[in-house]
Amino acid sequence: MKSDGRKPHTSVYVPEKISTKKKIHDFFVYFRQHPTMYLMLVPGLFFLFVYKFMPLYGILTAFKKYNIFLGKNPLDAVAKSPWVGMANFNRLFNSPYFWKVLANTLIINGLKIAWLFPLPIICAILLNEIRRKTFKKFAQTAIYIPYFFSWVVIFGIFYSLFGSYGVVNSAVKALGGERISFFTDTHVFRSVLVFTEGWKEIGYNTVIYLAAITGIDLTLYEAARVDGANIWQQIWHVTLPGLLPTIILMLILKVGYILDTGFEQVLVFYNPAVYEVADIIQTYVYRLGMGQMDFSLSTALGLFNSVIAFILIVGANTISRKTLSRSIW
Amino acid sequence: MSKEKQKAKESVLASEKFFRGIAYVFMTILSLMAILPCLHVISKAVSTGENVISGNVLFWPRGFQLEAISYVLKETEFFNALKNSLIVTICGTAIAVFTTITTAYPLSKSSFKGHKVITMFYVISMVFYGGMVPAYMVVRTLGILDTYAACILPFAIVPFNMFVMKSYFEGLPESIEESARMDGAGDIKILTAIVVPMSKPVIATITLLYAITYWNNYFHVTMYTKSASMRTLQVYLYNVIYNSQTFAENTLNGLTININSEGILAAAVTMSLVPIVALYPFVSRYFIQGITIGSVKG
Repeated sequence: MKSDGRKPHTSVYVPEKISTKKKIHDFFVYFRQHPTMYLMLVPGLFFLFVYKFMPLYGILTAFKKYNIFLGKNPLDAVAKSPWVGMANFNRLFNSPYFWKVLANTLIINGLKIAWLFPLPIICAILLNEIRRKTFKKFAQTAIYIPYFFSWVVIFGIFYSLFGSYGVVNSAVKALGGERISFFTDTHVFRSVLVFTEGWKEIGYNTVIYLAAITGIDLTLYEAARVDGANIWQQIWHVTLPGLLPTIILMLILKVGYILDTGFEQVLVFYNPAVYEVADIIQTYVYRLGMGQMDFSLSTALGLFNSVIAFILIVGANTISRKTLSRSIW
Repeated sequence: MSKEKQKAKESVLASEKFFRGIAYVFMTILSLMAILPCLHVISKAVSTGENVISGNVLFWPRGFQLEAISYVLKETEFFNALKNSLIVTICGTAIAVFTTITTAYPLSKSSFKGHKVITMFYVISMVFYGGMVPAYMVVRTLGILDTYAACILPFAIVPFNMFVMKSYFEGLPESIEESARMDGAGDIKILTAIVVPMSKPVIATITLLYAITYWNNYFHVTMYTKSASMRTLQVYLYNVIYNSQTFAENTLNGLTININSEGILAAAVTMSLVPIVALYPFVSRYFIQGITIGSVKG
């Protein structure tokens, strides 16, 4: 992903037939000359193997009736637990709660995209028009700072504001209204999630779009002004077309990661009173595994999530590469 | 004709002026929306108890006391949590930056035999996730549950950061490295004496990305640690927020009015905000720079 306009390598590649034998020979020649280059890869590969690839073996749990006491350690128990085929998945797909959490995941992240996706674009265009350097810098810094707060800190801040005895409810009460239980009312809880997500992320995304706007050729604006284009026409005919690749890329990414985002936020913000509207796949995976200790069902649901997410992300990347020649990796 | 042109020019200028007005108003509102909630919580932490309970505190302290903050510092596990957060963040970031550089450098060389296969490993790990329980099983099998190692492991190398670093290395001029090689410098010497100094901006950015990831991490720490003494600042704060009612009962047991549930919550949040807010002015430019270097998703 390059947002600075650098073009991907486009050197003409002429394939030549190299025999496997020659390849192996070349490898050994290079290896003898640069042994430290291979040594350098060891720490990274070690962590990659331990934390990313070893868990892949644990996926077998999804097809087994897992019993932790069968093995010397949890991974050994995977090997020794009996196979049950697709039983865990059948259990999952037959449970109405599964469809509920799937729907919640899509609804919550869908709402976030619908409400929050256009905002940073608007902010960046507005911020770009501001001429006073100090104000511009101040605004950029101010809206960017929440991005660096953890979800727990943000929860603390908003709990303080929107809690039963928070300042918002005091105001509502003073105006003669009823106290709103923002964190336990199923009707408003999703709005709390969307709002706080916006509060955290808008500044960050604005900076991305702002960087893209600075890449637009200034002479285009000059030409448009000479032709008598007012500010709206300049935005419509110069800024937006210039931003379009970034906008499309960001949208593709947002949709591609729709199953993978928002987990930590929901985990911190939700409580049993709002499970019905807030429980998403990942939080359910977490409670199934760590709360109910149902490792098999939890792994099955996690695997379902990973497979769909994999398809979405690879699909998103393919679209991005085809239309924008930009790749996530 | 020229009169018409003049008129058109004026209307263009008028539209721009109008738009700029909107921009100032809108951005002022947004900036306030970002800052005021923080000010509110800080004000609440230092306002007197009566004002906090009656909801009088808005965005500036009403009255002044430091009892709530001193209660949080002395009577809760704040310093222990801070210590844990610092250990995890400093060690984790050091390890992660080291592995990221040492991985990105060989992979950035197209002459490096095997770079395609190894790069593929990292791509696979980015798109396919083993899952929460399998990762937990690994951590438990390794016998590192409830240790700092378990908190550090998840981000010891983040493939995305590695790819940002790699693409930066690829953009460096080859000629300097070549001439050093002519002078007999080995791979490690070239990396430490030439490539790293030339890559300071991207290294600063990646370091901060890792640091913020470790500092803010809540989920992996709750998942991989059990004992209260291992709580990092985020886990500690989460517990304070959920248990603030229990603290409130202490108020009835003879503590002063300034120490109430709302005030304690606000004081704990404030103390967790302070390190980030204090460091932010010094590091923000590296983050903004990071976005222009070529990251879209942190």
